[in-house]
Amino acid sequence: MYEQLMGLLSDLVQQTGLMQIWWGNIVMIIVGGILLFLGIVKKYEPFLLVGIGLACIVANVPGSDLVKPGGLFYYAYQGVELLILPPLIFLGIGAMTDFGPMIANPSLVILGAAAHLGIFVALIGAKLLGFTLAEAGAIGIIGGADGPMAIYVTMKLAPHLLPQISVAAYSYMALMPLIQPPIMRFLTTKEERNIIMEQPRYVSRLEKIVFPIVIAIIVNLFLPPVAPLITMLMLGNLLKECLVVDRLAETAANTLLNIVTLILTVAIGSTMQADTFLNFKTLVIILLGLLAFAFGTASGVIGARIMNKISGGKINPLIGSAGIASVPIAARVSHMVGLQENRANFLIMHAMGPNLAGVFGTAISGGIMLALLGVLD
Amino acid sequence: MNLPDTLQGAIALSVIDFFLSFIFIAAIGGVLALFPWLNHLGEIKEDKY
Repeated sequence: MYEQLMGLLSDLVQQTGLMQIWWGNIVMIIVGGILLFLGIVKKYEPFLLVGIGLACIVANVPGSDLVKPGGLFYYAYQGVELLILPPLIFLGIGAMTDFGPMIANPSLVILGAAAHLGIFVALIGAKLLGFTLAEAGAIGIIGGADGPMAIYVTMKLAPHLLPQISVAAYSYMALMPLIQPPIMRFLTTKEERNIIMEQPRYVSRLEKIVFPIVIAIIVNLFLPPVAPLITMLMLGNLLKECLVVDRLAETAANTLLNIVTLILTVAIGSTMQADTFLNFKTLVIILLGLLAFAFGTASGVIGARIMNKISGGKINPLIGSAGIASVPIAARVSHMVGLQENRANFLIMHAMGPNLAGVFGTAISGGIMLALLGVLD
Repeated sequence: MNLPDTLQGAIALSVIDFFLSFIFIAAIGGVLALFPWLNHLGEIKEDKY
């Protein structure tokens, strides 16, 4: 009787996750805890980090069925794998974004390309470190600082790297308030950071309605590989700007975007399982992602400094880093660094122009990359 | 011409992509610079919505 009881208890213990746990799980649970700490306590993009952090912890508790086929997190991940969630995220972003600052100052859109040097630094770095060209392209796109675009390009070029790349992209986007300011201060003078820019011109409703239609045509015509994402972005924006479908615009910008963000963060966090995530390749990808963000920030600021010289001192170089994309996080960082220098210098609307252009910059880089790598040997 | 899966291929891809990105985004900027002309076509009365 005693032996039977002990045998039953032993079987019961064997079925719990306690017997399968290894040090990798512990490390990843700590990583998840750090992400939660940054989200909840430090308030670094809590909308992203809370979901990612908890899902990362749960995915590393052995015994949980949530991430296995049939589990809820598994199905959340299918939305990423089947490329359903990224275009829906773009629909919501389009419906909540005012492209007025970008339309008002067309000369600043060039910063959306200037701030993407990081993509190519990471791409070449990845190739040097032994990744294939397709893998290197997917790693490089982390530097585009655009989560849905990074997921989209990675699924096309190197789907096996999706967990590492999506985690790196979203984590660095959330950590931009830590990564960017030191680089921005290092590359600018106090005088430059104090430049107060002129108010942008008024943008009419007609311009705002025509904008998504024109961009949708241009992107579908010249960049078909990334057309699904940008078309959804423009559809969302048209819903917002045409003023006749308020309910749809509001749903896309709020309810739908919240639901999709919830699913996406859980899906990304659930891919951070120790057995697939804790390896040297992941470490290299994470480091290359950081390099891409740093170089992108630097090239954006340098680009803005050049534009400042050309314009005769009218452009605050701090807005250059916003060209990296990651709307509106990078624009907020430009604004905050400007405010720290001068409490009366409000850069947010000026930084939104390059920031929004950065979305197109990433899409263009990704589109060209997909087109060029489509003919890979 | 195909891109070789080598370091030279990566450099070529980067250079082409970086410069084409500038051209594309400058073209978008050029189109946006024409947008004020749209206002000559008319005006949408927002108070009607």
